[in-house]
Amino acid sequence: MNIGQDMIDATTDVFSTMLMMDLVVGDPVEGKGGEILSNITSMLGLGGDIRGMLAVHCPAKVAMAITGGFLGMDVDELDEDVKDAIGEIANMVAGNLKVAFAGYDLKIELAIPTSIVGESYRVGGMLGARRVAVPFNMEDGQFLVELKYIVNS
Amino acid sequence: MGNNVLLVDDSSTMRKIVGRSLRQAGLDFDNIYEAADGLLALEVLEKESVDIVLSDINMPNMDGISFLREKANRANMKDIPVFMISTETGDDIIGEAKALGAKGAIKKPFTPDMVNEILGPFLK
Repeated sequence: MNIGQDMIDATTDVFSTMLMMDLVVGDPVEGKGGEILSNITSMLGLGGDIRGMLAVHCPAKVAMAITGGFLGMDVDELDEDVKDAIGEIANMVAGNLKVAFAGYDLKIELAIPTSIVGESYRVGGMLGARRVAVPFNMEDGQFLVELKYIVNS
Repeated sequence: MGNNVLLVDDSSTMRKIVGRSLRQAGLDFDNIYEAADGLLALEVLEKESVDIVLSDINMPNMDGISFLREKANRANMKDIPVFMISTETGDDIIGEAKALGAKGAIKKPFTPDMVNEILGPFLK
């Protein structure tokens, strides 16, 4: 299993297909570290042969740029459209990862994404979970895709 | 084209993207109706004349599979064709959707060309 590369492939596919945007990929981080200062996080739960969570963490400027690209208009506040758009990014990345996990004979199910907005928050960990985080850079800044998971025995 | 389409997705962003993709694919519709889940989609189908439905699968309140099942039980809408647009690609869930009457599926993420490839032949 090369989950870091799977996360890179899953995320770059979403951005190149839906936004026609080529991302600059950072080095995957396994375990602790790599956090970025974010203003919005969209996450969804994973079930089935694994249990876990996929999260997309974005600074405001990046989230608004992604949403503007989706909607074809300027976006200048973290409104419901932004929460919805980043949630869809998380949903599509998770959908691609579902295909990747199927290649490891792991069948996963996806929950519906949830988005939170704030200035100072922390997304708690899962005890015993493996964590992989990948930073991605675009013109407006950096965002982070984070996966925490435990393979059910 | 002279047709009406119903877009069913809990993401308003995705509904806008699908609508734009239809236009970019040259698949112009007279009216584009929207619904945020299966329950609301059934309400639209009860009131409006719809020629084709594009529906997500994972949605709150009533998901795409339950929507197909309920729609199949209503004589006034059971023959309206439905295509799924979803991150779900597994043979099991897409197979279930097709068994319930779905005509095909488009995987998210998608391009206008991919939308045209799936829907174009059906609409011609």
